[in-house]
Amino acid sequence: MPTPFRTTLWRVLLMQLVALMLLGLLQGRYDLVAAP
Amino acid sequence: MHWINWAIVAVYLTIVVFDGLRRTRGTTNIEGYFLANRSLPWWAVGLSVMATQLSAITLIGTTGQGATDGLRFIQFYFGLPIAMVILGVTIVPFLHGAKVFTAYEFLEKRFDAKTRSLTSFLFLLSRGMSCGTIMAAPSVVLSAIFGWDITWCVALIGIPTVIYTVLGGVQAVTWADVKQMFVIVGALTAIVVVLIMRMPVPLDNALEIAGATGRLRVFDFSFNLSETYTFWSGILGGTFLMLSYFGTDQSQVQRYLAAKSVSEARSSLLMSAYWKIPLQALILLIGVLVFLFYTFTPAPMLYNPQHSAQVQQKEPATFAALEERYSSAIAKRELAARRASAELSDGVDMTSSSALFDFRSADSSVNVVRKDALAAAGRVTGEASRDVNYIIPRFVLDHLPLGFAGVFLAAVLAAAMSSIAAELNSLSTATVVDFYQRWFRKEGSDAHFLFVSKTATAIWGVFACVVAVYAANLGSLIEVVNRFGSFFYGSILGVFILAMLPRTKALGAFVGLLSGMAAVAAVSFGVPSVSFLWHNVIGAVVVVAVGTVLSVGGGRMEEPRTP
Repeated sequence: MPTPFRTTLWRVLLMQLVALMLLGLLQGRYDLVAAP
Repeated sequence: MHWINWAIVAVYLTIVVFDGLRRTRGTTNIEGYFLANRSLPWWAVGLSVMATQLSAITLIGTTGQGATDGLRFIQFYFGLPIAMVILGVTIVPFLHGAKVFTAYEFLEKRFDAKTRSLTSFLFLLSRGMSCGTIMAAPSVVLSAIFGWDITWCVALIGIPTVIYTVLGGVQAVTWADVKQMFVIVGALTAIVVVLIMRMPVPLDNALEIAGATGRLRVFDFSFNLSETYTFWSGILGGTFLMLSYFGTDQSQVQRYLAAKSVSEARSSLLMSAYWKIPLQALILLIGVLVFLFYTFTPAPMLYNPQHSAQVQQKEPATFAALEERYSSAIAKRELAARRASAELSDGVDMTSSSALFDFRSADSSVNVVRKDALAAAGRVTGEASRDVNYIIPRFVLDHLPLGFAGVFLAAVLAAAMSSIAAELNSLSTATVVDFYQRWFRKEGSDAHFLFVSKTATAIWGVFACVVAVYAANLGSLIEVVNRFGSFFYGSILGVFILAMLPRTKALGAFVGLLSGMAAVAAVSFGVPSVSFLWHNVIGAVVVVAVGTVLSVGGGRMEEPRTP
């Protein structure tokens, strides 16, 4: 049975959120933005 | 390059061409040739969609961009998953359900023949030229690296691609794309592993060193219309760009029209929604790791060997002075990086590591010398430097173990061939279905249309090769065509949005399309500082607004024809 579209939508958004969060963590850990 | 590397490239080319020839069997009509009788599985179409989007210049240019500019380019793709979901519920079921060959054919079913012909013509014009430029870009790099004539480099990429695309049609294109994606991802993964293994300092310290230069800064939340890569331009402008590209550009639409069903077509697009951002992050991260590698290993001042040789030959004093400054700057940078790594290993926090700040200023000094060297190269050669495109090829050829260069070159060829093949296939479809069959010969045998389709693919292939060979001389013409192309990309999306709205009419769509293109042209010339990502938003919005108003207001216009 095909996956309902709403489920797919949530999956894609969740994946996008996870990707953005990981990139955010990478930036937060290594970017020296706060330094003078 | 060692013969083993060439053997790897030869094996790759042989497999792709012979598999393409094998796919010629069983194709008796244009539905089979252009759409594989709508029989392809979602995963093959999904990989084909990704391979088509990933061109050779993504592989070598974007990795180079990661080395010089860091990860922020990834924001460009933030709209892609959103666009894929929107397309999955809008354009994909409309196009797949309408049983059309081209996206523009659907516009005739919904509006009229002139809207179809204009949009298809605009596609042929822009993609015909861009097909040549995407072949030219890697050819120029290969030519400079190996010292070959550009014609041979174009032939190396163009001839096998044209052979398997002409003979095998969409079957050959899609299944070659599947293999090519594996080659590309395999090569990228191998390079990451080698880079991590060869890093002379712990990876965590290395990333902190890269972070000191801002290369690991991903997000820019400023709302600046003239800045191309910001979070907002990526989310909003990127969504419109990806909607236009995946929803209305025949080179992509044709990939999922060949899928078995609407559901499989949707799934194929969702593969990009899931994997494009991680793949692009990997590509950019390779660039950052290469930057780190060259921090600890002497890096060339100019990565383009031809430009370097020309500056040395024509302005030896300038070259020697630049080399001296550069050697001193990179030595200081390496020393600062090693001291920073030692401090970080001793437990010093990155925000209080003095060596890390020394490294940052040493890196700025290196960049100043590089800027002067690039200016000298531009002055001497009279060409735009595009040095960023040579960083990864030079790294691969100079520093990777035996065999890796062959795999990487095969991956560059794969990336170029997959994009070119899909474009040739779609250019031929639009030519035959939207023009030849529509205006010149409606009736004919399957054999006749199949012959015409193969001939059209071959002609477009030869045209692309010729454009690629003369790309350097056609520079300004290509720029004009590309700029013209950017005027209508978002506007065509606007027409498709109108097509899905109830009660919109043909005249509204046609006048809306012209208005959208005019609006984008006005913004492009009048406010050139506005980034091109916003042009698609402007075009689409103007078309929908004008088209809707005209459709509501014009009582005497013809009724829409639903598919």
